[in-house]
Amino acid sequence: MKTLFVVSLLLLPVSVNAAIAVVVHPSNQTSLTQDDLVRLYTGKLSAFPDGNSAVPVNLADSVALRADFDQKALGRSSSQIKAYWSKLVFTGKGTPPKEVASDNEVLTLVANNPNLIGYVSAAAVSDKVKVLLTLE
Amino acid sequence: MKPSLLGSALMFSLVAIPVSADINISGFATIAGGRVLSGSGVAEFGLEPTFLANYPLVGVYEEEWSFKPESRIGLQLSADLADGLSMTGQIVARGADDFDASFEWVYLSYRLNDTWTIQAGKKRLPLYYYSDFFDVGYAYLWLRPPADNYTWQIFNYTGVNALFNTQLGSWDVSGNLYTGREDDRDNKLLSDFFFGASTREIWKDIIGGVVSFNRDWLDVRLTYMTYVNERFINEDGVDVQQTWDGNTERRGKFAGISFNIDYNNIVFLSELNRLDLDGSKFDTYMVSLGYRVDSFTPYVSYADFDSDGEVHNTTSLGFRYDFHSSAAFKLQYDKVEDNGYDGLMVAGDSDSVTFGIDLVF
Repeated sequence: MKTLFVVSLLLLPVSVNAAIAVVVHPSNQTSLTQDDLVRLYTGKLSAFPDGNSAVPVNLADSVALRADFDQKALGRSSSQIKAYWSKLVFTGKGTPPKEVASDNEVLTLVANNPNLIGYVSAAAVSDKVKVLLTLE
Repeated sequence: MKPSLLGSALMFSLVAIPVSADINISGFATIAGGRVLSGSGVAEFGLEPTFLANYPLVGVYEEEWSFKPESRIGLQLSADLADGLSMTGQIVARGADDFDASFEWVYLSYRLNDTWTIQAGKKRLPLYYYSDFFDVGYAYLWLRPPADNYTWQIFNYTGVNALFNTQLGSWDVSGNLYTGREDDRDNKLLSDFFFGASTREIWKDIIGGVVSFNRDWLDVRLTYMTYVNERFINEDGVDVQQTWDGNTERRGKFAGISFNIDYNNIVFLSELNRLDLDGSKFDTYMVSLGYRVDSFTPYVSYADFDSDGEVHNTTSLGFRYDFHSSAAFKLQYDKVEDNGYDGLMVAGDSDSVTFGIDLVF
């Protein structure tokens, strides 16, 4: 397992424009449209379509995949997303998703909590999580 | 905008009692400089060429470069007390106030369910589209929301409000219902700029609501507020209550609509507002158009203020450049036309240039 983590970590910087896998806990039985995904990551939705509470996990700015996700999943640049959140944060209307520093952290968190949703490069997916959507 | 471990560690070490609060520290800043290139001033008031870039704070540029009128920094502390309860404070220091820092926002927030959140405390009055995030330059396109629209002397209030957030088909609907009052003992715009004497401005019985409809690239916002105004102007050390047609109170009713489009690389922003103050009409509108080329967004903008006597407009040209993941550089040219009459000129005509950097952290 440790080897796998190290390998995906090494692959990370070059995995820009690779497919992105949206992942949840294996026990999560919900399905998700890309609209739902946008709503979850813009604070407009806080539950999965099946009604269970949903907490999105984001990658930090410093991870190349983040800009890719903002563009492919949300259809906006990272700057636009940050401007959007700064409007909400400083007016008390919302809090952006918590950020972590790597694919591995996303996988570990999601594998241990049925309420979390995250994304990683498709190549990094392990059998401890379930892929809900793949963004090419 | 990231949860700060250092911040929570700091709070733990400072607070003697054990708290299990998750403390977030975030902030924003704008460092801007500018000057009037040419202007008429207002001879009648002995006013030199002036660009009033920020009405409520009296952010004024003159014919020499200045970095004070619009530079500001804000720090937000938010304590998440779990189970939907949180406490937030926002401290803002502005060049226009000689960087005297003060709490602009202090409120308690309680999340009832996925739809409703109740808040109480001191907040910004969410009158116009950009009113409640006016200080956060990073969140909008221009150097400042068009000054001709954002002219009102009261911009904070203390009270309660209810935020809602729901879905109607493929539309996201969100809004805010609020009530409260503001008693500003030495109102800056009225005291320093308009009357030249300490003015106490009261807006009471404030009741207002905002609703936004959002779908893909379209954003429509409706706003309404009503309030009762009382005013005292200091004359030789005595606060003299003002009257309007013999009444010590007058009622204001404000309504506005805003259409924003962000489609592909085209950004269209607009606002149309009317304030009815005991029958006197104050109309404002603005339209802006921008075109995004990667991280570079040039824009043009026109804003207008029209009432019986006070009449002015601003044409602006500028760009926003997102040169960093948390910072934007902006450059803007503004041409103000002051067509005021009957002594209701504001600052005269002017041509100005302003540039600045907006940050969030």
